[in-house]
Amino acid sequence: MADVWTIAEVSGGVLKEISLELLGRARTLADTLGVRLASVALTSHLNEDQVERLAASGADVIYLGQDSTLEPFTVSAHASALMALVAEHSPQIILAGATTYGRTLLPYLAVKLSCGLTADCTDLAIEEGSGNLLQIRPAIGGNIMATIKSPNHRPQMATIRPRSTPLPSLDYSRTCTVCHVPITAAVHNPTHVLGLRPFVGQQRSIEDAEIVVAGGKGLKKRDNFALVEDLASLLGAEVGASRDAVDRGWATYPHQVGLSGKTISPELYIAIGISGAIQHLAGIKTAKRIVAINNDRDANIMAIADYAIIGDLFAIVPLLAKRLQERRKTQ
Amino acid sequence: MHIIVPIKQVPQSSAVKMDPVTGTMIRSGSAATLNPLDLYALETALCLSERSAGSVTALTMGPPSAAQILKEALSMGASRAILLTDRLFGGSDTYATSYALSKAIEHIGSFDLIITGERATDGDTAQVGPGIAAWLDVALVTYVSAINTIVDRTMEVERLTEEGYQAVRLTLPALISVVKEIAIPRLPTLRGKKRAMNTPIEEWDARTIGADIGKIGLKGSPTRVVKIESPKVARTAEVHIASDEDSMKGAVDRLIDIIEEVYHG
Amino acid sequence: MTPYTPITAAIIEELITICSASNVLTERDRIEGYSHDETSKEQYSVMPDVVVTPTSTEQVAQIMRLADRHTIPVTPRGAGSGLSGGAIPLFGGIVISLEKMNRIIEIDEANLTVTAEAGIVTNELNEHLKDTGLFFAGYPMSLESCFLGGNIAENAGGGKAIKYGVTSRYVLGMTVVTPQGQIVHLGGKVTKDVSSYDLKQLYIGSEGTLGIICEATIKLIGIPKVASTLLVPFQSAQQAIAVVPLLMKQGIIPVSIEFMDRLSFEISCSYLNETLPLSGVGAMLLLEVDGSDAAQVEADLVAVGELCEEMGAMEVYIAEDANNRERIWAVRRAIAEAIKVYSPVQSLEDVVVPITSIPQVLPFLKELSDRYGLQIPCYGHAGDGNLHATIIKDPEWTMEKWLEIEPKILRDLYAFIVGKLGGKISGEHGIGLKRREFVKELTPDAEYELLKTLKRAFDPKNIMNPGKILI
Repeated sequence: MADVWTIAEVSGGVLKEISLELLGRARTLADTLGVRLASVALTSHLNEDQVERLAASGADVIYLGQDSTLEPFTVSAHASALMALVAEHSPQIILAGATTYGRTLLPYLAVKLSCGLTADCTDLAIEEGSGNLLQIRPAIGGNIMATIKSPNHRPQMATIRPRSTPLPSLDYSRTCTVCHVPITAAVHNPTHVLGLRPFVGQQRSIEDAEIVVAGGKGLKKRDNFALVEDLASLLGAEVGASRDAVDRGWATYPHQVGLSGKTISPELYIAIGISGAIQHLAGIKTAKRIVAINNDRDANIMAIADYAIIGDLFAIVPLLAKRLQERRKTQ
Repeated sequence: MHIIVPIKQVPQSSAVKMDPVTGTMIRSGSAATLNPLDLYALETALCLSERSAGSVTALTMGPPSAAQILKEALSMGASRAILLTDRLFGGSDTYATSYALSKAIEHIGSFDLIITGERATDGDTAQVGPGIAAWLDVALVTYVSAINTIVDRTMEVERLTEEGYQAVRLTLPALISVVKEIAIPRLPTLRGKKRAMNTPIEEWDARTIGADIGKIGLKGSPTRVVKIESPKVARTAEVHIASDEDSMKGAVDRLIDIIEEVYHG
Repeated sequence: MTPYTPITAAIIEELITICSASNVLTERDRIEGYSHDETSKEQYSVMPDVVVTPTSTEQVAQIMRLADRHTIPVTPRGAGSGLSGGAIPLFGGIVISLEKMNRIIEIDEANLTVTAEAGIVTNELNEHLKDTGLFFAGYPMSLESCFLGGNIAENAGGGKAIKYGVTSRYVLGMTVVTPQGQIVHLGGKVTKDVSSYDLKQLYIGSEGTLGIICEATIKLIGIPKVASTLLVPFQSAQQAIAVVPLLMKQGIIPVSIEFMDRLSFEISCSYLNETLPLSGVGAMLLLEVDGSDAAQVEADLVAVGELCEEMGAMEVYIAEDANNRERIWAVRRAIAEAIKVYSPVQSLEDVVVPITSIPQVLPFLKELSDRYGLQIPCYGHAGDGNLHATIIKDPEWTMEKWLEIEPKILRDLYAFIVGKLGGKISGEHGIGLKRREFVKELTPDAEYELLKTLKRAFDPKNIMNPGKILI
């Protein structure tokens, strides 16, 4: 029986968390199907301990392609390496993260392999009887869940929303085969990465953050947006913003949450002065906990909040910051 | 420079409200609009073509009513508009859609650059752009946030990734998808509108573009939607009214407990 | 000393008997929200003694009978989105909030009417009607929050009045509770009615001073299927305003002709981060055309745009797509909000003049602004001659200084508008608390006496929203 594959993401020799989340999810699928689980890592180099992490997270096989042409990522280098691998091993399922990497590589690869692909899944299952992969994703602003399958095409492909599943527990006693994949550099790669300019004053993207503190129109002006930024920095959180706030120039686009920005699933989302347009709510529905600080009891955001403080945010947020600092001192 | 911009008609999101009890969506009417993220693709294309005395072709696949968004593109300054419309295209998934659009682009003939929006706000897949690049076998760079230079057939761009802004050099022809940061879309003008009224919208069907019938529509789509559910997404909030000092302190302290749980849970 | 009876525990008990404990609010933090409306809270705010939220017209009548018996002042309240302090309980007492009376009683498609309770939000009423292809065209800018009852009691106007008229055009009937607690039904589903004095029209725009509108029957019209919007910058306000009468002569009636002076759109654009080229622009018009025939709307759009070009427009931006229409309207809608962010204390004025006098208003505002050292952005419904000049308190000024200067500016402004231009001091926001002194000053004695006689006839004990409109 054909294997289940996940595509790992590597940066500077280290795995990104999504690589392990994918294995956690795919392990169940592989066990249900009674097949092996393989993780494919295409990178310039992967540290030895990271190879072990892949194994400990559930991979039975690791296809490791290490070549300087594979990092930074370009579509043509990764797609041609994967096409060769798929042609050799014919997996039945390929999963990647719904990240800028997975959402670029997989749709390109799906066309090259003539197979179906479902974007940004939050759940997966195996259909009884047929063994088809059931790909479940939020649609129409997260208000419906669509179950999608590709019955007649192999491999079945899907990108998976980051943080939609917990990290698997590590089991370092697992055995795993590492296959080194020979990489033949493309004769002509039309794209070439020149460098990276990291974000200023931001640790990581809001998709990766445990806690996101976001601000909206209720903050009234740019100067007040500092309330959000200060609280975020106090909490070690990242800063999010509603479309209104971004359009008004209070925050930049990488911070925008919602249908025309990022869809995020943090452990905690604190919405300050955000009324919660339907497009905004679509971006936070899979957050574990949602806190709203707002003066309008009837604001849309209340419908999906777990905890709400109704009142004047200009008094509440500074008090919150103050009490947090006091609490920290006493601890 | 000839730039092709594939665009999409989507339901107007402002016409959508949420039922506060069930948390499901109430769609009122069937108002349709141009995918807002496509405005950035159009603006980028128009700016580039103005700089190089080039031209912009807007292309969409959809029902006859999708002509409306092509008119908008023409009013903004596109010089040609093509509507790919045929019952045979109905039910296309992203694979079949990218195939049909790529066949239409081949039928248009030569191009230097294809620019798409980041994704459409209805399907939210972002898969059609990369799919077109694969069908046409051209360079693909996604999430482009700035175009720095174009010299002959070489372009240098920045793309927005989780780590920051990545600088990429690419060789044309290519397909890029752009994010909101790249430009501020222009408003159409009366001059553009009057020009648009004199520009016919070309309607093409599956036969015009020589599409393989087995690769379009529902039949040509590898994926099938097997089930649609409306989960109850509404949550019941613990509500605290902070109207005076005491109630505010209580509410804030309870929130701090929740934050602590996240840190330690 | 007020002539009114204070609210006692016994009266609270009686109110609870009428409409149950959950509809009688006395806790300070719950009734604070009923102490002000959308006028500057810093300036206009009085706490009620008790707020009741009745659920039926009968309960409203019983509350009024109680108030009449004990001589307790009653202030009816809709959504609190008023801009003249009309819903502020000046003498405390009872606030009757109609928020729980928000049912639709009947949609009569054949007669093109809807009958609903006064507490329904105007926009929600239209949402419910959407599937019928009909709508209520009484369309204030606050339609997403204002209640039907408040809309009628203020005789609201808004951004579409030039084509659709103001609210009074659509009210066919109403159920009113009088200050004595009688329930009367005025009008009906008929479109013509000269059967006696038109009491219904008297209640429209009466600001809750003659009784409480509890239900209304509204005339509906077909929803226009297509709308397109234009945003047109001009070098001067004169040029912009000159377009208005010419347009009307052409036989095209736009649904909106909104005017924005330089200061207004600058504040708004900067607030919205809108980057339209504004260099050299002195004023802007926002125009909208609508209809059911797409080709006709398109032809109107082009005709209106061409006329603007002939009249010296610097550019004609157009929006047929929903996203772009929203982008244009945002500039107009955000003005009030943007000004509030700059300075929450302000006087949002609502003067109305004959259309051709608009260009004279603007230099006068400039003169006032120079004389008193304050900014006065001006925008509004040019098609109706209705301008929202907004006198902004300089954030550096003390409240005392503002309270001293504000009435002086208003006195100068109103004298010019009424005396020189034949205008009126309020087109759609009403008098309420905010302008009552000026009504007294500017109304001829004989007319003012008629108004007072009328009020006395309806409300001899002066318990129905006392202290509003008249002094």
